[in-house]
Formats: sequence, structure tokens, C-alpha cells
Amino acid sequence: MKRIKTLIVSFSLLISPAFAQNIKVAVAANLQSVIKALRQDFKQKTGITIESILGASGNLTTQVKNGAPFDVFLSADMTFPENLFKDGFSKKKPVVYAQGSLVICSSQDIGFENWERVMLTGRIRKIAIANPAIAPYGKAAGEVLKKKGVWDDIQNKIVMGESISQVNTYITTGVADVGFTTQALVKDPNNKTKLYWELLDPKSYAPIEQGMVLLKHGESNADALKFYEYILSTRAKTIFKEYGYHVE
Amino acid sequence: MDLNPIWLTLKLAGITTVILLATGLPVAWWLSKGRSIFKVIIEAIITMPLVLPPSVLGFYLLLAFSPQHGVGKWLQQTFDVQFVFSFQGLVLASVIYSMPFMMGPIKAALQQLPVSLSQASYSLGKTKWQTFIHVLLPNIKPSLLTAIVLTFAHTLGEFGVVLMIGGNIPNVTRVASIAVYDSVEQMDYSTANTYSLILFAITFIMVVSVFVFNKYRLKSPLE
Repeated sequence: MKRIKTLIVSFSLLISPAFAQNIKVAVAANLQSVIKALRQDFKQKTGITIESILGASGNLTTQVKNGAPFDVFLSADMTFPENLFKDGFSKKKPVVYAQGSLVICSSQDIGFENWERVMLTGRIRKIAIANPAIAPYGKAAGEVLKKKGVWDDIQNKIVMGESISQVNTYITTGVADVGFTTQALVKDPNNKTKLYWELLDPKSYAPIEQGMVLLKHGESNADALKFYEYILSTRAKTIFKEYGYHVE
Repeated sequence: MDLNPIWLTLKLAGITTVILLATGLPVAWWLSKGRSIFKVIIEAIITMPLVLPPSVLGFYLLLAFSPQHGVGKWLQQTFDVQFVFSFQGLVLASVIYSMPFMMGPIKAALQQLPVSLSQASYSLGKTKWQTFIHVLLPNIKPSLLTAIVLTFAHTLGEFGVVLMIGGNIPNVTRVASIAVYDSVEQMDYSTANTYSLILFAITFIMVVSVFVFNKYRLKSPLE
């Protein structure tokens, strides 16, 4: 027994420095494709490996508050980062790193010229949106649908994904006939499903300002700080643009 | 306080238990008699949900239910039913997911009954079915109760599959476990706490009553 314990301890000592070098970044689900490109580019530039943990922004915030060892948090909105800053989980004020664009998207060509009318027909049975209470893209989708005046009429067709990535699953597997998601999905080179989509007028929803905070766990880590600055760099901005985000 | 998720969960668990009891009894009986490679395979399939991650089941159900192709398309075109994001879909998923909890205890109990019991019944002129209903079933009451309660309780605790194929629709697929997850995500801890406490209380009472009922027979309900 003792020998096993010694073995475990020495083994963990052996591997722990390798883990310590990695920076852990909590990443909002809508960034699932762009973060891969960012990670790769950052590694190429600096040699530093990023470990990204994907999830709904609300979930990740809860995890940070309960001691998750994340260094940087890329949220889908500003509310969650500000909340973390206010509660003392970050010393740096949150900053906007990108603005998201909402698209309407389907695995079939449903006729996007007048989608709001198509939605009312029997052809569309299920409409996927992210949960508006927790996901900024879901909230934006709700605003668009209300503005188009169809929100109340399609209530019985709406299915909610717990994050935008679940909405993407619903769209690409075809279980939902149509869905509202991030433009990053249709720009994702890894997506194998043929998708039909249309960009929604950015004026029809409040801007999806995505915020970033440097968390307490990462503030004394030089590599984490490097990544934080990299996300705001022109190089990262070009990648964000390629995936359909607006950057200033 | 919206108690609908609790009612929906109880409804789902109730319907699932009734369906599994009706289908599980004859299958468990069939499985308990004799041995063949075919029976072993069927039994293995029935037991699989016990060890498979719920996400595996959820993933396959999502593909199977998709109205774009395969079974889902056929169901939608022929019967106009859609299993994904619907209550009947959850029922089907729960039936698959909780099946081992119904079959396991019943089959084990039937196997432990002495063969002489049914032989005596046959020699007195009773048919197979009469023997099953009037002789075998009354002798496995504790295991039957265990199976029913565990099936019900296990369905109450279903989460992963529902998260994948449910779509979080109020009064249709937003069951209590999803409502807890949802409230935690919204940082509404008091609502999460209420749902959790109710679920905790219901399952605790159920499991305790099985233990008490079976105590005299010196049997653990997990046997």
C-alpha cells in the first residue's frame, strides 16, 4: 500500500509541472470553433499551450465562483464578467473583445427571404434557440422574433438549448428545422453539414458584446497575461473577423 | 414557485413504471427460464443502459429521432409523430434507460424460486399463465416492489438523456432535474434548492420504505 502511495505521489510530482505551464481559459460555447484557431495561432506565436474549457457563460461563471482554477474567462456577454469583477474574482475591469452576429440557420433550404412567414407554416415544427435566460444569443434571438411580431405565435415550436453549442447540434443533426445561432457556426471549416443561413439585421437586436476578464487565478501568471493581451491584438482580431465576429 | 417540473417528473416516472411493469414482467419471466445464447444477448442489451453513459443513449436517440432521415422521418411522415423534444420521446427514452432496474430484480427473484413450485402447479392442471399470475408472482412480492420503486426513483433521477433530447420546453420536457440545472445556471440557487429538496425527500422516502418493507426478509433492494 505504502509503495503504491509513493508511486502515486512521485508520478503526480512528475506530471504536475507540465500541467502548471498550461493556461486554463474558460470559453463561452459560441466560441467553440474560433477558439481552436486562436489557440493554434497563439501556440505558434508564443509556444504556450492553452487549455480551453467550453460551456455556457452562466455555468462557467458559477464554476469560477466556486473555485474553478481558470486564468482567463471569455464570456458571451458583459454581464457575467462584470458580475465576477464586482464580486472580487478579478482585479481588472472586463473588456469587450468581440461582438457576435446572429444568423438564422437550417440544414434545409426553407426560403430565408421571408423566414418569419415560413415559421408560421406547418413546414417548420421546431425552432431552436439558446435559453434566453442564460445565453446572450438566445436573448438576441428572442428580441429579433419579438421585433418581427411572431414570438407569441411560435411559442409551441420553440426548443431551448442549454448553450449555443447545443443549438448547433440541433441544427446540424436536423432535429430542429431551423435555429438561431452564431455566425461562427457557418464559418466553421470543421463543420461537415451543408447549412443554409442568413445574417440577421444587427439593428434588430441589442449588440452581443462579448467580454473578457483576467481572473484572480491567472493574474500572477505571465503566460495568462500574454494570452489576455493576445486576444485584444490585431492578429486575434483578424481571426475573430474570419469567423463572423465584429471587432473594433 | 412553479411546481410543474415536479408534476411532469412524477408523471414521466409513473408512465414509465407502468409501461415497464407491463412489458418487463413477461420478458423477465422468459429470461428466467432456461439458457441460450440468444437470451444472453437480449439480457445484455437490457442491462446496457446501466453501464452506458446517458450521453451515448441521448446521442443515438437524437440521431434516430431526427425528422430529416431514417426512423424519425418515417414516423413523422407515416404517423405524424415526432419523438424528439416531446413528452412521448422522454417516455421512450426513460423506458430504455430504466429497463434494467425493472428486469433485474424480477428476473433474479424468479430464478431463485424452486422449480418444484411451478411443477406442482402444472400437475394440478394450471396453465403456464395461471401459474405465473397466481403462484410465481405472489412469491416474489418483495422483489416486485423493489423493481417498481427503483424504476420509479431512477426515472426521477434521469438527467443526461433528457438534457440531450428534451429541449427544455416548459410543461413538456422541462423535468425537475433539468429545472435544477437551469436554475443553477441562472444563479437562482433558492429555486434550485427547492426542487432539489423535493426530489431528495421523495426519493429518500421511497428508498427507505423499500428497505423497511424488505427488512424482515433480510434482503437488500439492490440484490
